[in-house]
Parts: sequence; structure tokens; C-alpha cells
Amino acid sequence: MGMNNPVPLDSVDDILRPSADANPLLERGMVTTTLDALLNWARTGSMWPMTFGLACCAVEMMQAGAARYDLDRFGVIFRPSPRQSDVMIVAGTLTNKMAPAFRKVYDQMPNPKWVISMGSCANGGGYYHYAYSVTRGCDRVVPVDVYVPGCPPTAEALIYGILQLQAKIRRETTIAR
Amino acid sequence: MSDTAKAISDLFSSRFGDRVSVGQTQSGIVTLVVEVDAWLEVCRALKDEEDFSYEQLTDLCGVDYLSYGQSEWETEDASQEGFGRGVEGLGPGRFDWANRPEATDVPNRFGVVAHLLSFKNNQRLRIRCYAPDEGMPIVASLVEIWSSANWYEREAFDLFGIVFEGHPDLRRIMTDYGFTGHPFRKDFPLIGNVAVRYDSQKKRVVYEPVEIEPRVGVPRVLRDDSRYKADEVDQAADVEAEKIAAGEQGNGNG
Repeated sequence: MGMNNPVPLDSVDDILRPSADANPLLERGMVTTTLDALLNWARTGSMWPMTFGLACCAVEMMQAGAARYDLDRFGVIFRPSPRQSDVMIVAGTLTNKMAPAFRKVYDQMPNPKWVISMGSCANGGGYYHYAYSVTRGCDRVVPVDVYVPGCPPTAEALIYGILQLQAKIRRETTIAR
Repeated sequence: MSDTAKAISDLFSSRFGDRVSVGQTQSGIVTLVVEVDAWLEVCRALKDEEDFSYEQLTDLCGVDYLSYGQSEWETEDASQEGFGRGVEGLGPGRFDWANRPEATDVPNRFGVVAHLLSFKNNQRLRIRCYAPDEGMPIVASLVEIWSSANWYEREAFDLFGIVFEGHPDLRRIMTDYGFTGHPFRKDFPLIGNVAVRYDSQKKRVVYEPVEIEPRVGVPRVLRDDSRYKADEVDQAADVEAEKIAAGEQGNGNG
């Protein structure tokens, strides 16, 4: 197991045991929280991003995915289809003409899904904030989980953003209330 | 003008007479300003005739001469707040859609420029014509001569609103579906007229009037770093030195 495993292996084992009435672990919500931990372990370990390169940020995204930084190490494997994706990395300038198509691709992604906004243009229009054709931030169209600043952000910055998103997913509770 | 350019210029003048005027050369490229009525005829001759043989059209674009020659960015002075440039004038970044300037009667406002290439003569040529009517600029289409003009003319139509008569499929090529206006015109506001947003009730991306104010960024000048402090110290030292010198002079006279 890699460094992403949120709980020791022994704890995962607990959920496989049959529940008893007087099981103190059940009373304390141990099963639900541990199930959440398992889910989050699975989700953070295989965040497949929808390839959504729009401009020069995409080149840095490719760099992050290439041999030197190798996003495969984090279980991040770029997918050509929204149906197979968990994360959308908006890498570049989102124009008004692209916005409906962008939203459609986002809607086609199955839940749970997350969005990383990469670079100044996707964060808020950036250099093209006052231009007639550019959407002033992709958060006008989809909800964004992590903003990566930079113009373009370095590959390291993108990886840091992905790690931040992993940390955010680990805090989520799907089963436990 | 180089000898080759001179020879070519003479060739154009003798062939086309007063339908063209040969402009100056830049980077060895001769510019030919063509009367708009003769645009198609001259271009056909430039392609078909043995002397010219411009087989390929490499570029075609529109030009808006509305504010041609008016400088918006001339530096006049620099102060603590910023440069003196970029704070006057009426560029596209300074008005919104409602307050866009009414286009005045500008002669030869819209131009069409094309770049031609002759493989046979290893020669390039720039041709230009001006659309006569500013409200409805119409220029003959070159698609039937050079098919590569097709998308270039759609681009010029999209961005400048120049209508190419005889174009097989003249529609917008780059701007958004349902876009209004021609964004490269000098009286088109930089911020445009619409902005998009996702409407969670309607479950689709909606268009709304643009909500931001037009703004032109002015570069700021910082005069507070240590180099200017050093200047002040030097000046103070100079003043001191002058005082001492004056004092010595005064003593000598007295």
C-alpha cells in the first residue's frame, strides 16, 4: 500500500467481521466511518481526470502526466470520456462558445465528481478578463473544488492541487452522518 | 526600392494602368492598392497571366481604419501614479455596448488585404482594396480564383463585417453562435455585450448582458525602492558641497 492509504490495514479488516448486538465498534459508528475511509481510500487512489485541455495550461498538464512527474503514481490516469471520469481538470481559457459544451461534458460525468480549475483563465478569466469572448472563470458554469493559481501553473502546482483535492475527498463522509 | 521591386512595380503599372497604384515596399514585398471595382479582374490577371503567376493566396484579412494613426498609448510623462499614456482617448477598452461611439463618415474605413505567392517567380505580393460604403462594406470574393480565400473571407466577415460578394458560404467562423456585432471593429467594445453563466433552474448555460465595467490597465511606476533613496542622499550631499564651496568663496572675497 502506498502513502495514500488513510487507515491502517488492520482497521479495514473490522468491517468484514459479522456484527454482534453488543459490538462496541458498531455502537461507536466504527463500521460506517471505516466504510467511508475505505470509499475515500478508493476514490483518492484512482482519480481519473476528464482530459479537458483548452489552452497552454494543457501543456503543463501533459507535463505533469508525462514521465518526469508521472501522475500515474497517484492513480491519476487521463480518460478521453466523461463517462469514465471522476475529476475534470479545466486547463486553459474557457470561452463563451465553449461554455455550453463544457457544461454538457460535466453533466455527463457520473457522480461523485470533482473539478480542478487550473490557471488564471479558468479561475477568473485571467489575462482575458475584459475580453468579449471569454467566460470570466469556469466557476460561472460548474462548481469548482480546487483552484490552482498560475499562468500557467507549473506541473508541480497542478500536482499540489491534485493532492489538495485528495485531502478534501478524504474529509468527505458518504455513509456516516 | 530594390531593382527587382522597381521592375515589378513598372510591370504592374504598365499592365493595369490607373486601376492600381503601387505602394511602397516593406521587407521586399510590393504593395498593390487596387480599385475595388477592379478587384476581381486584377486578381484574375495576377493568377492567370504568365508574367505574374501568383498561384497561391497565403493570407487575407480585413482592416478597420477608423482610428488609424491616432495613438492611444503615447507616453507623455511618468508620475508616482503611473505613465501618462493610456488614460486618454477612446479605444475599444473604454466604452461599453450602450455607449459605443457612432461610426462617423470615414472614407475608406474598411480595407481588405491579401498576400499572394508566386512559386514560378519566387515572388510575394501584397494587394489591398478599400470597401466604398462604410455602412455596408462590399468587396468581391476571391474564392473562385483562389479557393484558399474561403475561410479567410469568412473570418474577415465575422470580425469586421465585410461582405464578400460571390462567396459560396459566407457565415461566421469563429465567434459564438448567435453573436451580434463584429468584434475587431474599432467601435466594438472590448468587453463585448454578453456574458455566460450556468442557470441551475433552467439547467443550461444562459446569456446575460455583460456586467463588468470597461477598464484599461495603466502600468504603475514604483519610485520608492532603494535606488531612488540613493539619489536623494547624493543630492543632499551635492547641496552640502555647494554650500561649503559658496562659503569658501564668500570667505575669500571678504
